[in-house]
Parts: sequence; structure tokens; C-alpha cells
Amino acid sequence: MNTPKKRNFKIEAFKHRVEVDPKYAEKTWKVLEHAIHEIYNHNASGLSFEELYRNAYNMVLHKFGDKLYSGLIATMTLHLKEISKSIEAAQGGLFLEELNRKWGEHNKALQMIRDILMYMDRTYVSNNNKTPVHELGLSLWREHIIHSENIRSRLLNMLLEQIYRERTGEVIDRGLMRNITKMLSDLGPSVYQEDFEKPFLEVSASFYSGESQQFIECCSCGEYLKKAERWLNEEMERVTHYLDPKSEPKITSVVEREMIANHMQRLVHMENSGLVDMLVNDRYEDLGRMYSLFRRVPDGLSTIRDVMTSHLREKGKQLVTDPERLRDPVDFVQHLLDEKDKYDKIIGSSFNNDKTFLNALTSSFEYFINLNGRAPEFISLYVDDKFRRGLRGVSEEDVEAVLDKVMTLFRYLQEKDVFEKYYKQHLAKRLLYGKTVSDDAERSLIVKLKTECGYQFTSKLEGMFTDLKTSQDTMQGFSAGQGPEAAGEGPAIVVQVLTTGSWPMQPSAACNLPAELLPVCERFRAYYLGTHTGRRLSWQTNMGTADLRVAFARNQRHELNVSTHQMCILMLFNSADRLGYREIEQATEIPAADLRRCLQSLACVKGKNVLRKEPMSKDVGDDDAFFVNDAFASKYYKVKIGTVAAQKDSEPEKQETRQRVEEDRKPQIEAAIVRIMKSRRVLDHNNVVAEVTRQLQSRFLPNPVVIKKRIESLIEREFLERDKADRKLYRYLA
Amino acid sequence: MPRTSRRTGSAAVNSPAASDIFRSATNRAISKELERIDVLFHSYSDSSSGVIGPEGIESLCSDVGVEHTDIRMLMLAWKLRAERQGYFTLEEWRGGLKALRSDSIGKLKKALTELEKEVRSPENFSDFYSYAFRYCLTEDKQRSIDIESTCELLDLILGPIYRPQIGKLTEFLKGQSDYKVINMDQWMGFLRFCKEINFPSVDNYDPALAWPLILDNFVEWMQQQQHGR
Repeated sequence: MNTPKKRNFKIEAFKHRVEVDPKYAEKTWKVLEHAIHEIYNHNASGLSFEELYRNAYNMVLHKFGDKLYSGLIATMTLHLKEISKSIEAAQGGLFLEELNRKWGEHNKALQMIRDILMYMDRTYVSNNNKTPVHELGLSLWREHIIHSENIRSRLLNMLLEQIYRERTGEVIDRGLMRNITKMLSDLGPSVYQEDFEKPFLEVSASFYSGESQQFIECCSCGEYLKKAERWLNEEMERVTHYLDPKSEPKITSVVEREMIANHMQRLVHMENSGLVDMLVNDRYEDLGRMYSLFRRVPDGLSTIRDVMTSHLREKGKQLVTDPERLRDPVDFVQHLLDEKDKYDKIIGSSFNNDKTFLNALTSSFEYFINLNGRAPEFISLYVDDKFRRGLRGVSEEDVEAVLDKVMTLFRYLQEKDVFEKYYKQHLAKRLLYGKTVSDDAERSLIVKLKTECGYQFTSKLEGMFTDLKTSQDTMQGFSAGQGPEAAGEGPAIVVQVLTTGSWPMQPSAACNLPAELLPVCERFRAYYLGTHTGRRLSWQTNMGTADLRVAFARNQRHELNVSTHQMCILMLFNSADRLGYREIEQATEIPAADLRRCLQSLACVKGKNVLRKEPMSKDVGDDDAFFVNDAFASKYYKVKIGTVAAQKDSEPEKQETRQRVEEDRKPQIEAAIVRIMKSRRVLDHNNVVAEVTRQLQSRFLPNPVVIKKRIESLIEREFLERDKADRKLYRYLA
Repeated sequence: MPRTSRRTGSAAVNSPAASDIFRSATNRAISKELERIDVLFHSYSDSSSGVIGPEGIESLCSDVGVEHTDIRMLMLAWKLRAERQGYFTLEEWRGGLKALRSDSIGKLKKALTELEKEVRSPENFSDFYSYAFRYCLTEDKQRSIDIESTCELLDLILGPIYRPQIGKLTEFLKGQSDYKVINMDQWMGFLRFCKEINFPSVDNYDPALAWPLILDNFVEWMQQQQHGR
């Protein structure tokens, strides 16, 4: 703790008494003050920068900084007060110009003064925490000019008036405006904001509020949006020309709020021109404008989306429930596809392919397509029509395009298994009657279905194709094995051997085939069973077709293409001229419903009535009698006799299909439940239902009640039990 | 048969006196008692089949002084753990009557009153309730009971306790056509429903829970009726 004694060395300053004139400070200041006056009076050319700098330097050095600084303030204030008077005196429009000019001069003067007083700025100002000269000049300007009573409000009003005039179409001096706003920002962001921007935004808000009110009363939605867009662009342009860039988001948000957000609902719902009208009339440009404007405001896009969705759902619902439409399934599906195309295009070209809009589109379609329980059937019928006729002569790419569209509709379906059922039926008919336009297209769709739903979904469909291919080979083998004597005599047959289970038809009782056919049928049976052991053949006479050569009276020869049943009926007339309905029924043993249809198509269709019926009427009665129509005439040699049949499923058939579908679902649901419970062991009811739904939704949407029933059935069969304590839980019983 | 394992020995059995001094005397008393129980059995049993058959039960009923459809007979069957409706085997008889400490008709008569209390106790009731259902499954592999019998059984067992519920439930069951028979799961559901659900408001019924569907339908029917009013 002992500090050694220190010897203080001190270098004495050179003792040289400097004479300081007591009046020195006063005199030097006078010089500088004079110089400042001169600068403000534009007489700076006569001043010596070097001398003035030295004077100021000396003053600071001799501790007269205070005097210098306060003198500067006083002098500048004096000048600014004069300036303020001259600005105030400026009349009308000259006011801004005068202000601008004076501002320019003040800046120049400030520059020079700062240069002279540079030393003070560096030492005195920073040591004493004073405001540097330049900033001081600005703040004095702010205080004495901008915030002076007579100028402040006048300035603001002038600026706002200029902008108002520009908004109403007049041309204003944008350069001047830019200088003034630049001045305000130079004086500090708060000055720009408080003295200009804030009132500017308020005035703009009320301007646009008024304008929007006025326009919305008299304009259509489209026109209004055009105006809004133009205004928005104008404001943005204004910012780039003469406002601070930071103002852009603020002013655009004012326009957005006043022009769009406040009127959004009204615009969207505007009668005869709102969103719905635009959608209906495909007004892509207006829609695009609405999208780009609305996306700027909160909830804007969701407003559009909601209205679009509800319109789409409403329209879709009408479409799928309109009984008129249900008459023509092809037309029905075509309408759906057109609707889909239309909205795809709108979203693509006007809504920027917005994901959320596409999702809304999908969910809307899913919603209304499934409102109609027959949609799966209709889509299959549409495909059927395309494959039978529609795709003839269409290029491969176009075929693919059609199929892809069908697939999108298919994806919307909840009951994909119902579609599968119908598709199988329709495909079977196409294949068996050789009605399909293109095998490649058929296969292509099956590949698509396979990709979408997995192997299981299409395996039977593929099995059908395989059967036909095998049948061709079998027939080749069969006819090769026949002696030439057999080939020449009697009728020829083509047999398609179908695997039971792959094809959707129910086994039905065969009708009595004409005696002429029996030998060849027998030969085929013998051949087939000879080549394959352990198989059973049964004839599906309700499925085939036949070509008959017929000679009518007056030597009219025709080849008739008829169904197997019709062939059986016609062959009866080889040995009889007149046959009653009952006789025919007895001889052929064709089921009554089919028989009536066959007879109807043979006797009641104009131009194809190869039979004549007594009495002449549309329907076939039990006591009707039939004759060969000798007067039959047709300009074609080959005549195809169709079968009178509703192409759509008839009512009982429909219910039967429905029931089959329901039955098929039961084991699938049970399998899913067991699968889930096996892995989870214990699970609560809601989760079981959710999980089952999730697992099955690629095929159909199981009804929770049905799931519950299946669970109960599984409980009864002791695959599951209820938890003793927690009633929500099921337990898996191994 | 349902897999639910049967609970055994839920009845309270008085343990024999532990003291050595009394053991032999007690043993003698017990064998006497067993003898009398056997005698009682043979007085009702059919000599050819060696079990108490329907006729035997009927005469037992008249001796004890209850109708054969009386719930107390069902309770006795439960106590005996009788397997087959309308029949008591010697084994069942011995076990049951021993537990009831009855070796004469007079004692049995008294015991039946006690038995009713025992059955109504919460720990035994649900066992008894499920037993009643199984007891009615007379056919081999039979799993369910027709609606008519179900209603009678409900009325018999739950009727005295849950009169309003059972009234509505049987009305519903007889009126609907979706179900022709009732299985064990649904049967157990009815008891749980009566125990847990406010009635007639059914406001604490949550169809999202794992209730059997038939009860969902019942509640829906109830609500429709209430709204209809």
C-alpha cells in the first residue's frame, strides 16, 4: 500500500504570452456573422473561405465555441424568419414554388456555412453534444418555416389539393411535388409522416370511400373492378413519381380497403354482373381482375372461392338431380365433363391455377357427383358409348384425353365399387358382341383404373380379355379339327368360353336351341371337354348373336343379324307359317321377359319388322299370333335387328345391382375391421370407424351404421368383444 | 356358446367354524345336511333320467309357493348355476342348496327371499342378468332370442327396477321390424343403457360411443316421439 513518491515531470509550455485582444471574440464573430448574411444574400463570391474557416477555427480554439454556435443560431433564425415572410407573401400557386426556391437557397447556404464552420462541427459540436450545423439548419427550417403557423396548414392543403387535382384528371407539376415531398422527408421521417402522409392517407380514404360509393351504385361489377384497378395503378404511379417509396404499401392498402375490402360482398354478389355472372359467362378477363384485386385484401380470395364453390355446388346439384338429364346418361356425363373443363379453364386462365381453387373445384365435384347414386352407372355408360361409337376414327391422343377426363370423374366417385360393377357388365356386353371400337383404348382405360385402384380392382376385367383371346385359339383348334364335310354342311358356330366368376352374368337356364344347331354344339362340347379335363360347359344363350340368311317373298334376300334368342324364334318359322305367343314360349323356353322383348324387336320396330303380329300393337300379349312378314323390305342386304331394351338398367335390375354391391361390401368391411383390430388389439369405436373408412375409401365410402353392424356381427361371432370397463373400446379376440 | 367365462362362486358362502373342537360335530352336521338335500332332490327328480325335469320343477314351485314364471325361480336357477332350462341336475342341486343352507322346503322358501336380496346387489345383478339370457338359449348353437321372449324376459328382470325404460323399450322392440332376434351383445347393452342413460330425456346418450345399433335406433325413435309431441 505504499506508493512510491513520484517525481512529476512536467514539460512547461513555451512561455510566450499571446496577446489576446479582449474584443477578439466579438470582432471575429462580427466577421463571420457578416459572412453568413452575405451568403444568404447571394453575395458569397466575395468571401474568402480560407479566412472565414480560420476565424471560426480560432474562435473555437479560444473557447468561444459557445458564442459562435449561439450566434449562428440567432443569425440563421433571423434569416429564416425573413424567408418565412416572403414565402407567406407568395400568392396562390406561387406558394409552393417560392417554398421550393427558398428551400433550395437555404440548402445551398447551409452547405457553405457548414464548410466554414467545419472545425466547430468536428470538435465543439461533438464535445458538447450539440446538433451539427447541417441538422441544425434543417431543424431551424422545420421550426420556422414548415411549422410556422401560416405555412404549415397552407402547405398541407396545397399538396393535397394538387393531388386531388391530379386524381380528377388535371396535370400538375410533378417535379415541384417531388421536391416538396423530398424536402419533408429530408426534414425527417416524422415530418413527412405527420405533416403530409397521415393527412394524405386520411384524405385519400375519404376520397376513395366517396368514389367507391358513387361507382358501386351505377357500375357493373366488371366496370367497377376496372376502375379500382386503374386507381390502384395510378396511386402506385404517384408514389414512384413524387412520394416516398415507403408510402406505397400504405396508400395501396387504403385504396384496397376503400375500393375492395369494404365492398367485397356487394361486388361478388352484384346482380347480373357479380362473380356468378362472370363464371356463367366465362368472363376470363374480369375474373382475372377480380382475382388479382381480391388477393390483395384479407379474406378476398376466400370470398371468391366460397361464392364459386357454392355456385358450383348449386349448379352441379341441379345438374345431377334434374330428372330430364337422367334420361340420357351420355349427355349427363358430357355435361359434367363440360362443367369440369369450363372451371379448369377459368381457374387456369383467371385464377392463376391457384391450388386452393383447384381443391375447391375437386371438393365441389365430389360433393355433387355423389348426390346422384346413379353417377357410377352413368359414367360407365358414358364410357360404353364412347367405346361403342364415340371413339371411332378418333386419334390416339384424343382417345387418351377422353379417357383421362373420365378418370377424373371416376376419382370423384365415392362408390367406386359400384362403378366397377357396372363397368364389368358393360365391358362384358361390348366384348361378347364385339362392339368395342378399339381394344387398345379398352386396355388403356383398364391400365388407368389399375394405377388408380390397384390390381385387385381390375383383375377380373383383365380375365375377361384373356378369356376372349383363349376362345379365339380354341375356335381355331376346333374348326381345324372338323372334317371338310362338317364345315360345308349346316350352320357354323363361334363359341366364347367364359370363366365363371370373371364375368358378371348370372348363370341362366339355356333356351331350347333349334334342332339344326344341336349337332354342331355337341361337337364343340365334345371337342372342348376332350381337350380340357375336369371342366363344365353350360350355354349362355342369352348372350350370343346369330347371322341368318332369309329369303322373303318376291325373292327379297337378306342377311339378318339377330340375337341368339331371336334366332331361335325365327328358326321356328321354317316349319310354320303362324305361331301363337304361347307356342313360341313353349318351343323355345325363353324366359318370358326376354321373349317379349325379342318379339317386340322382331315385329314392332318399323323397318326391321321381319315378323308380323296380330293384332298390330306395340306390346306383346299372351294371345298374339305371329307371321313372317312377307312384305319386309330393306334397301340393305344385311339388316341388324336390335333388341328393344332400355340401355340403362331397369328399376329391378338397378336394385339388384345395388343389393349385390351392398353384399359385396360386407366382407370387405369385416376384413378391414379384423385387419385393424388384429394389429391394434384394443381400439375405440370412433377410431375403428375412421380407420375402416380410410382403408376402404379408395373403393367406396362405407356407411358408419353399416360398419357398426359389421362390428356387432363380429362381436356375435366372437372375433371381437366389448371392453368390460370402457364401453368405447373393442378388444380383438385371437 | 359365448366365450364369456362364467364367474364362479359369487355367492357368499359361510365358512365352517374353524375351531377343532367343533370340527367333527360340524362335519357330521354337514353330512346330515347333504343327506337331506339329496333326499329333497330325489323327491322331485325323475327316476328314469336322474334329474329334476319340468314336472319336478312345477311341483317344487307349488311346494315353495311361487309361480314357475316367477323371477325367484330364475334366481334359484342362477344360484344353482343350472345349465339347461327346466332341468336341475343333482350336482347343481347340491351346490346350490348347500350355498343356500337349505335342506328342507321350509328353509328353501325363506332362502328364496334372501336370495332375491343377494341377486339385487350390484355385484351380482349383471351376472344374473347375463345368466338369464343364456338360460333362455335352449337350442344347441342358439345365440339369440326372439323379440317376443326378449320383451318378456326384460319385463321380468328389469321391469321392476326400470319400469319407464322397459316400457318404452319393449314398445319399441315390438314396433320395429329391423330386428327379429336379440343377441347377447344387445341384451347386455339394454342393461347398460338402463343403468347409465338419463330417462326419458336420453340427453347423455352419445351414438358415437360403441352402443349396439339397436339402441341407436331406439334413442332415435324416442327422440322422434318426443319431438312429435
